[in-house]
Amino acid sequence: MPHVRADLRDAHAASLRHVASPGARLDAARRVQIAEVAIAAYLDPEPAPPWVRPYGDLALDVAHRLARHAGTITLEWYEQVITEGLHPLEWVEVVGVVVAAVPPVAFARAIGVPVPGLPAPVPGPPTGHEAAELAPATLNWVPVAAPADQTASVVQALSSLPDENANLWRLAAAQYMANEQMGDPRWTRGLLSRPQMELVAGRLSLIRECFF
Amino acid sequence: MLSWSSNELGTPADIAVIASGDGDAGLPHGADLVAFAEAIARFDEEALARARAQLVAVAGEDFMIDAAAVAANFEMMTRVADGTGARHAPATADQRNAIGHRLGIAGFTSAH
Repeated sequence: MPHVRADLRDAHAASLRHVASPGARLDAARRVQIAEVAIAAYLDPEPAPPWVRPYGDLALDVAHRLARHAGTITLEWYEQVITEGLHPLEWVEVVGVVVAAVPPVAFARAIGVPVPGLPAPVPGPPTGHEAAELAPATLNWVPVAAPADQTASVVQALSSLPDENANLWRLAAAQYMANEQMGDPRWTRGLLSRPQMELVAGRLSLIRECFF
Repeated sequence: MLSWSSNELGTPADIAVIASGDGDAGLPHGADLVAFAEAIARFDEEALARARAQLVAVAGEDFMIDAAAVAANFEMMTRVADGTGARHAPATADQRNAIGHRLGIAGFTSAH
């Protein structure tokens, strides 16, 4: 079994606990259901194509498409799903759950160990913990914490839901680097130089058809 | 970021490798890192096992684990960007468009 550094192991375990805890608008059981769909889609050797909605359930279908066909998601589809009844902050929470659940699974698969299971859902109602003030953004489709567009789009992407945002950046700090290190070309992730890190990031992002 | 970081370090990398998947970009273990990232992204379990073993053989297990962590991070960040409709600021449009056309990715949904 490969030895995984403690900060990374802890960040992945914390992220899965976060998935199984009550969120701003969804209870933990629903969040675990969304995560299970995302993990299944990510690992499926023959996934349903992007235009299929396998579950007939807005949140689960968003989780499925985001987990396996993220590069195909368009503004038009986002607006269609919102029009059909998913609240924009529920969409953001689904994104937060998917991006909390997929990285530990992706990492385990990459290093060749069994993928981790999800913890049992923590009982209790949604927390209602949302940004004090929301604003429409020009750099994202989703609403963000006010004031909008003062930071990069990926930095403000989940800011409407502080707990999802915090988990995202805890993971980023352990897997890649903290935001404050982004401007340092000499920063290394363990044995990888910054250009080696960016080579991995760039190739994977291109295959995922993500311009970022 | 590859172009910027490698230029800052005085050893410009060949960013075309990001698009072609062919070559080492001028970086130590570059070809093995590209193969590892590609195998993770392509959902090819046999290719992933080969690429992982090769990376461990040439660079060691800790190096492979750190590369896997970076890959996991971009399995996350690509979904954050695509799932929230993230766009680059207009001020960087010219630079982004140039890179997009050079790498053949200007047609990606997230490039608009």
